[in-house]
Amino acid sequence: MSVPALLLVQNAAFGYGRRAVVSGVNLRVEPGQFLGLVGPNGAGKTTLFRGLLGLIPPLEGRVERGARAIGYVPQRESLDALYPVTVEEVVQMGAYAKLRGLRRLPRDERERAVVCLERVGLAERRAAPFSTLSGGQRQRVLIARALMVEPELLLLDEPTTGVDRGAQAHILQLLSELNATQRLAVLLVSHQISMVRQTVQRVLWVAEGRVTEGLAAQMLAPENLDRLYSATGRAPLGEDA
Amino acid sequence: MDELEVISWGERLSLFRFALLAALLAGAVCPLLGVFLHVRRTSFYGIALPQFATAGVVFGFVILPWWLENIGLGALDFAGAMHDSHAAMNYHLAWSNVFTFGGLLALLALGRRGGSEVGRVAASFAIAAAATLLFGRMSPVGKGFVDELLSGELLGVGVHECETLAVVFGLAAGALLLFQRDLLLVSYDRESALVLGKRVFALEAVLTVVTGLVISVGTMVLGPIVLFGLIVLPAIGARAWARSMRSYLRLASAFGVGAVLLGVAASFEFDLPLGAAITGAAALLLAPGGLLRRG
Repeated sequence: MSVPALLLVQNAAFGYGRRAVVSGVNLRVEPGQFLGLVGPNGAGKTTLFRGLLGLIPPLEGRVERGARAIGYVPQRESLDALYPVTVEEVVQMGAYAKLRGLRRLPRDERERAVVCLERVGLAERRAAPFSTLSGGQRQRVLIARALMVEPELLLLDEPTTGVDRGAQAHILQLLSELNATQRLAVLLVSHQISMVRQTVQRVLWVAEGRVTEGLAAQMLAPENLDRLYSATGRAPLGEDA
Repeated sequence: MDELEVISWGERLSLFRFALLAALLAGAVCPLLGVFLHVRRTSFYGIALPQFATAGVVFGFVILPWWLENIGLGALDFAGAMHDSHAAMNYHLAWSNVFTFGGLLALLALGRRGGSEVGRVAASFAIAAAATLLFGRMSPVGKGFVDELLSGELLGVGVHECETLAVVFGLAAGALLLFQRDLLLVSYDRESALVLGKRVFALEAVLTVVTGLVISVGTMVLGPIVLFGLIVLPAIGARAWARSMRSYLRLASAFGVGAVLLGVAASFEFDLPLGAAITGAAALLLAPGGLLRRG
């Protein structure tokens, strides 16, 4: 008996207006999978990612979201430091979908926000202004916020971009633990090839408007990278595409 | 001796109670809107849109004779329309709304095309300011009212204006507080709000309507100078002290009320135009926050 898919994409095309940026997308995400979405800049990674999140509808084909809840971790640069929000407020935003009107966040949700912060190792910073945290810490807070929805599938947009190597390792270890201990399916977008190769099981390679799926170790092996990039007409930019 | 000098503070407060009540309401509510405009980096809307509203009010005077002749305003003749404060206020309020929402929707529509937001808003402010002066020159009537409106002299606010302001600002404050969490999420992280299933378009529409109503009614009753001051300045002043969004809203509102009280005291004590005094007081309240940031 097959496992029900958390995310199922069949012959889908995504784009803007009537122009497809990526097409012929087929994807099945099951519990416990760890996937990386990689490819050269401008290849359509963000468009595909937005399509998977449901932010843009498919131009053709089908997208079924079977997951009870999807946790989304945006790029932290998209969050403006002008907002005087505390770490705890940011995490509690994950529970806003359940709230109506002036009702206070229930005590169990507030406690769960602290548990989620403990999970990412930042409970002691919960009263700190979000903007005062380092890049890596902010990323972990956003992961804690995504955990507030009790997701079966976690979608992350460039989670390790712009953070130092120590923070990168911390974030990837956290994601690997969540994946291994809670069978949380993880799909992350990245242009950091070496990081993706070491962390994820399978890769979705996006180039020239098409998506190819395969094992990370094979597809992102150094000898294959040259072939993948030459097919796009671009030179590989070392290990970081 | 100036006539006002022989009137006691108690008598002044009683005489100008509607103006003071309207100013206090604006002091409490305008900064709530200002907070959302500030964090969304659209504070300039708080400056440009009152100018649109003013242009609308002045335009109402330009076409008042034509309007009375061809469409009518209840059963009022020209003299009646100029002196019946209720009917005249509703008429000008309608024009204020038309111009404010027209300007707001135009700015939002142009914003979707990209480019410089600051440049667009600055250009629209210049156009609205020029239109106000041109309409004022073309208008055969209403010069006294328009001069008072532009100079921020709000002591003439009467019961009808105060009632209208109370209803509209009460609804606006209610909407901002009721939806504060959702508006925060939608403003702070729009994509996450969509993924969480929030009705982002509806929430943004709520903010747009609240912005338009507060500015059009506020400008009509209090004038653009007070609106500039109370929407923009308390939100900037309170930001330096705020540690959370909830405290930011409370502080900004407190700063607004504080600016009104200080402005009223300065106006009565030194015989200054009330609107300008309130805005000046709001500007003074920026100083402690500025020092805190430097320190």
